[in-house]
Amino acid sequence: MGEYLVRRILQSLLVLFLVSVVSFALIHAAPGGPTAIFLRPGVSPEVQRIQAHNLGLDRPVPIQYLNWLGLMLRGNFGYTFKNHLPVAQIVWPTLGNTLILMTTSWVLALLIAIPWGIYSSTRQYGLADNAGSVVGYIGFSMPAFWFGILLQMFFALKLGWFPLSDMHSMGRSDLGDLVWHMVLPVTVLVLINLAGYLKYSRASMLEVLNQDYVRTARAKGVPERRVVFRHALRNALIPVVTVLGLDLPIVVAGAALTEAVFNWPGMGQLFVQMAFAREYSVLMAITMIIAAMVVLGNLLADILYAIIDPRVQLGAGGAEAR
Amino acid sequence: MSHWRAKPWAGFFAVIAVFALVLSACGGGGAKTTEQPKTTAPTAENKPVKGGTFTFAETSDIITLNPAFINDVPSADAAFFINAPLYDMDNKGQPIVSQWSLAAEPFQVQNGGTTYIVKLKPNLKWSDGQPLTADDVAWSANVIANKDLGSPLVSYFDQVKQAKALDPTTVEFDLKKVYAPFVANVLMGAWVMPKHLLENVPVKDLQKNPYGTDPAKTLSSGPWVWTKWVQKQYLEFEVNPNYWGPQPNIQKIVYKIYADQNTAVQALLKGDVDMFNGIPVPSLPAVESNKNITLVNQPGPSWDYLGLNFKGSNFPQFGNQSPFAGIKTRQAIAYAINRDEIIKQVIKGYAQPIDSPFLPTNWAYKAGAAVTYSYDPEKAKQLLAEDGWKMGPDGYLYKNGHRFEFTLQYNTGNLRRQQVSAIIQQELKDVGIKVNIQALDFSTWIDQWINPGKGQAILLGWYGGLDPDNEQIFSSKYFPPNGQNWGWYTDKEIDALWEQGNSTTDITQRKEIYAQIAQKISTDLPYIFLWQLNIIGGYNKRVHWQPEDAPFQALPYAYFWHIQNWWVSPQS
Repeated sequence: MGEYLVRRILQSLLVLFLVSVVSFALIHAAPGGPTAIFLRPGVSPEVQRIQAHNLGLDRPVPIQYLNWLGLMLRGNFGYTFKNHLPVAQIVWPTLGNTLILMTTSWVLALLIAIPWGIYSSTRQYGLADNAGSVVGYIGFSMPAFWFGILLQMFFALKLGWFPLSDMHSMGRSDLGDLVWHMVLPVTVLVLINLAGYLKYSRASMLEVLNQDYVRTARAKGVPERRVVFRHALRNALIPVVTVLGLDLPIVVAGAALTEAVFNWPGMGQLFVQMAFAREYSVLMAITMIIAAMVVLGNLLADILYAIIDPRVQLGAGGAEAR
Repeated sequence: MSHWRAKPWAGFFAVIAVFALVLSACGGGGAKTTEQPKTTAPTAENKPVKGGTFTFAETSDIITLNPAFINDVPSADAAFFINAPLYDMDNKGQPIVSQWSLAAEPFQVQNGGTTYIVKLKPNLKWSDGQPLTADDVAWSANVIANKDLGSPLVSYFDQVKQAKALDPTTVEFDLKKVYAPFVANVLMGAWVMPKHLLENVPVKDLQKNPYGTDPAKTLSSGPWVWTKWVQKQYLEFEVNPNYWGPQPNIQKIVYKIYADQNTAVQALLKGDVDMFNGIPVPSLPAVESNKNITLVNQPGPSWDYLGLNFKGSNFPQFGNQSPFAGIKTRQAIAYAINRDEIIKQVIKGYAQPIDSPFLPTNWAYKAGAAVTYSYDPEKAKQLLAEDGWKMGPDGYLYKNGHRFEFTLQYNTGNLRRQQVSAIIQQELKDVGIKVNIQALDFSTWIDQWINPGKGQAILLGWYGGLDPDNEQIFSSKYFPPNGQNWGWYTDKEIDALWEQGNSTTDITQRKEIYAQIAQKISTDLPYIFLWQLNIIGGYNKRVHWQPEDAPFQALPYAYFWHIQNWWVSPQS
């Protein structure tokens, strides 16, 4: 396990390095730049050239990359171009805000979806199962922003039970106020996430429940509850865990549309704004955080396999997980 | 052009976001009072009270409040609260001395218009208690004019040879030549920086200095000081205890950032914010039906146009000649586009057709000076025929074996332009012209097409500033990449008139020159002039003002018109 981890971490670093090279090149290749936005009538390209020079944007891209990498290795994300603010000061708080919103909705979605999926699979086409299908369809097909607006109209504007938007009321930062502000956006995100996880866990359980060994277990008189939870569930969870690992980056990247509707100061929104503003250093910081989460998500999924399924052995001697 | 107001009305190209509305019977002219404070609760509502918080919504965070680098409307809006102008403006956009201006008396013009003398009030102070003197004013002007700074405002100071402090309250500006827009650009448009804080910062490093991004290190010369910035969320301003002028009524101003216009409108409806300027037309019915909101729905400073390119190399499929070369062809296009109908259908009536770059809300506008092209497709067909276009078998016009076909570009995500371009496409098809539509990401469009003067036709807008000078848009002295004459339009007579217009200081004479330009340019049509857009502001009725302090839309910052005198009812 230790040796496996070291190998995977080294691989991950290589992946992150390659991601950084490619993203840096792509981001800098996009037309326009941080100073281009400054242009307006009467402002000649000369001004843009002087600014680019003062801000170091006129140096060759590989040199700019090496400068960025140097800062990065020292744990510094660099500075925004237009107003010279430390990128970390912008990115970390928004990442925190996104994590609060996304992990809450993610965990809630799982807590609801997995038991519901299991239950549905044991009573296929029953009431709960059909209800799950309906929720699934709605969750898959309803645009998040639209559902968000509906909730706002009804619960914030009409009934006034919940705040319309934002993370805190002005001048407050206590937990109760935060939770109150989270209700509507979390509801939206839970519904959206629920659909997928419900389908995965139900389908996966159904597949496993039809396996020969489950029939064997039932035939030898193992109680149904034990069949489901002991024999079937562990195997059924493997594909779900894969999906969870792949979804980890989404938790970090945030849901730009939902964040926009509820004016949640998260990273999804930040990325969109910064892309329009061509703030290279902020874009790179967010790209690298998401890339790191992709790598981490995969690693965690692999480790979870070993925990759920003892047949999977990680390390030099064992077979690699799928 | 436009944007003369160092306060960056600069989003200019970016008319993207601002839509507008219509207004009442508004034809022209400056300040219109909207609704008066309601007299439901006579005591608190009719008499100004001190204190309280005024919260307004913006859809972007600021970039910097350093006056030398402000180049976007959100930053300018925030900076407005903490900066006093040299000269204030009246409701027609003319310079005046007021209780809020740094100047104590009207400026004197000497040496035939190349020297301006400004006399400051004697008691001016920065928010740190230090005196604000002629030294600060002269130093700021010279720094911004310094090319090494890379200030986006440098063009406003282009004609400033130097500024000097003659004594602590007298500044002399020496210009390189007589240049009338200097008054709007610098005397009314520019803000002052504190010399005592910044004089030792090397000019090249000024953009990286925390002045303008750190509230604790940014001084105020205005009624409020900047106290807090939570990035991407909000800014706060409080009354400036060291303010040299009359204390404002409103104690605290909160600039709250929303993700987009719709989110901001919802917040206005709910009462989370007291004001939002820039309500999109589709949201208007919801706002109108809310009894707590006063609307200020009037023509703003922005206008749309259909730009035509005259450079032959942009039309390889047309034998490297611009199909727009013939004047009758351009007039035909103007006749073929039904502006009234488009305004009605797409902008729901919240715009007025224009015939020249001089907006009816600007002092340089002269009614009847410009030629109006009313919708007349038959006339369009006739003019096209006169210009040598022949109908081909496919229903499109041909000349020299080339089909009359061009690509019309606009920026992705601008719903108004998307709809307008589709209607123009159909209307021009009706007279035999094939229009292909191309939507482009804004930055990419500006960088790859607009700045280098490429493309065939564009649907874009400008913000008109205080001064009516538009030389940089229409003169052949300003071809890309050195100016904004994107379409390579050339007319020596019009070139000369623009120059005459900005080198004349007498306003009556200037007005006459601009009337001539309006007549010529509306005949020659380098652009097809479309419409001036309304801007819709929504104000919660807990915000009060006297009639003479009512906000309006036609001038920069007029949506905060005399906010120093406004007051708010206690929060319910």
